[in-house]
Amino acid sequence: MRQAAGPRPWTFYVFASFFALFVLFLYGPMTVIYILSFQGPTGGLTFPMTGFSFRWFHALVTAERVGDIGGSFQRSIVLAVIVAVLTVVLSVAAGLAFRRRFPGSGVVFYLAIASLIMPGLFVGLGIAVGFQLLGLDIDWYTSALGAQLTWTLPYGLLIMFAVLGRFNRAYEEAATDLGATPWERMREVVLPILLPGIIGVALFGFTLSYDEFPRTVLTVGTRNTLPLEIWAMTTNVTSPALFAVGTVTTIVSFIAIGAALISIAVIQRRRTRGSGNSV
Amino acid sequence: MLSGSGNGEIRMVGVTKRFGDLAAVSDLSLTIPDKAYCCLLGPSGCGKTTILRMIAGHEEPTTGEIRIGGEPVVGLTPVQRGTAMMFQSYALFPHRSVLDNVAFSLKLRGASKADRHRQARELLAKVRMERFADRLPAQLSGGQQQRVALARALITNPRVLLLDEPLSALDEYLRLRMRGELRRVQKELGITFIHVTHTQLEAIAVADLVVVMAQGRIEQAASAREIFTTPRNAYVARFMGGQNVLSGTVESVADGQAIVVDEHGGSFSIAVNGEKPVQGSRLVGSIRRDRIAVSKAQGCAGASDKLNSLLGEVHAIEYQGSYVKVTIERPTGEGFVANVLDVDFFRDPLDIGDSVLARWSAHDVLTLEGAAYAGEASMDEAGGVLI
Repeated sequence: MRQAAGPRPWTFYVFASFFALFVLFLYGPMTVIYILSFQGPTGGLTFPMTGFSFRWFHALVTAERVGDIGGSFQRSIVLAVIVAVLTVVLSVAAGLAFRRRFPGSGVVFYLAIASLIMPGLFVGLGIAVGFQLLGLDIDWYTSALGAQLTWTLPYGLLIMFAVLGRFNRAYEEAATDLGATPWERMREVVLPILLPGIIGVALFGFTLSYDEFPRTVLTVGTRNTLPLEIWAMTTNVTSPALFAVGTVTTIVSFIAIGAALISIAVIQRRRTRGSGNSV
Repeated sequence: MLSGSGNGEIRMVGVTKRFGDLAAVSDLSLTIPDKAYCCLLGPSGCGKTTILRMIAGHEEPTTGEIRIGGEPVVGLTPVQRGTAMMFQSYALFPHRSVLDNVAFSLKLRGASKADRHRQARELLAKVRMERFADRLPAQLSGGQQQRVALARALITNPRVLLLDEPLSALDEYLRLRMRGELRRVQKELGITFIHVTHTQLEAIAVADLVVVMAQGRIEQAASAREIFTTPRNAYVARFMGGQNVLSGTVESVADGQAIVVDEHGGSFSIAVNGEKPVQGSRLVGSIRRDRIAVSKAQGCAGASDKLNSLLGEVHAIEYQGSYVKVTIERPTGEGFVANVLDVDFFRDPLDIGDSVLARWSAHDVLTLEGAAYAGEASMDEAGGVLI
């Protein structure tokens, strides 16, 4: 480990303090919200805690005035899963296609990536107006789904570029050499090797959708997704139930991330059992 | 089961491969006999890997014909061709165990698990890797990975095995051991091996047929000994490294020997082999490094006027065990190498900076084809008639 090598340079203290501030700024308010979501039955939106209870979590599923938390949560999860699946399928396919230069591949790439820098609110507005012009109803599983994909697909594609950048094409040639058909090559060699990266794409698709706001707000129609429901609550709910929502949604996010990281770790472990010096 | 199936003779006729405007291989014709160990040798970018990949079916020639065992194979899959390739990176599938890597092609052919595992184990035993059957590739050393890759390629029972720089990822010790092992496996299986390398000593150590390449063309295809002792042209002589190239303009011809003078004033005799070069035309020859006697030059000033000798200064001395490699720099800068037997060298050791005289006898000089530099042929040829 680190040898005692004299005093640390002053820059260490500058950057360490900055990092401490960053951590405080990021996790401090969130921690306050998590704590206050366990506020006692008579407590309010601020400290002091008047007790400890699950009352506000209970209120989420019962109290009418809290809004449609249950329904919006369900919609958000279903939408996030659909977005994740579509993002994986389309960006893996596109990533594999982009390995070969084809006429216009540069233009296609920039067109696909451009939506990352478009203001999300206007993307959503455009889609909503477009649906209206075509006489289609906007809803969370149509217009909002499309709006979210304009955000997750370019991300997925960029991740696939990084994943495929480390993918040695000799694996494919070896499979062909050993008699694999293109489909066998994909199923037996390419996809299993890319699997950890594909899980990463799915995770991105899921989490980007799960807390997407600007593209969804104008395209979701009458039935809100969870972030929109929470946004609505902040203006009319004045009880710690609001904080309880925050705690629950954070837990869901962590479960999704944890599941993805664990499955990636399991795959990696299986490939390098016991050896510390894997390639 | 380990014998090659069918005739592994490879015949390429007029093969050209272009990538865009760049011709990686130009109008190449080559026949590799069945059961031969052939090395494609050349610097990087000379087209040797492209040739290998065209034989394997991973590239198709732009024009030209490739036959294996007499059958045209352009357009066929590697399996239909009866070839198998061992990749430079080995390309072992990281998510499959050693056993499943080797058994992969049998799985694709629908062999039962018991059957394919039995065959894979047999082959792993052959490369002495049966103990590692359940490991994953990442848990193996480079040499072990190579053996597994070899077993995986051989399980398809190929009539031709194609090896793309198979030893380049190994350290020196393993490289020497594995090249002997490759040769042993090739003899044992009796199939054609084609081995791509940029290392001269590797090629001449293992190959029956060495194909020296430059810029998409074959410079010489011959046995290892022939390539080393009688290079066809200056490029091969320089590339193989055992020779010094002599070149200059013809001054006179007598008794089948041309007296050639180079731009530094040295004069050599080069046999003209029945040709009658014109005075003033260019002629190229070579002299083996170990056919040169080196002595200190004190007291023989003007000796460089003598035929078949040159004066110079010792530039480097490298002890090689059985001989000492003496690099002599001529006053005008060109290097000249003499390999002096260690007993001769240490009788009267030289030092860096010594003035020396290098001498050789006329009948050791080889006559080479073409110009002094491959690729500059047209420029040099403009000067006169060549033999």
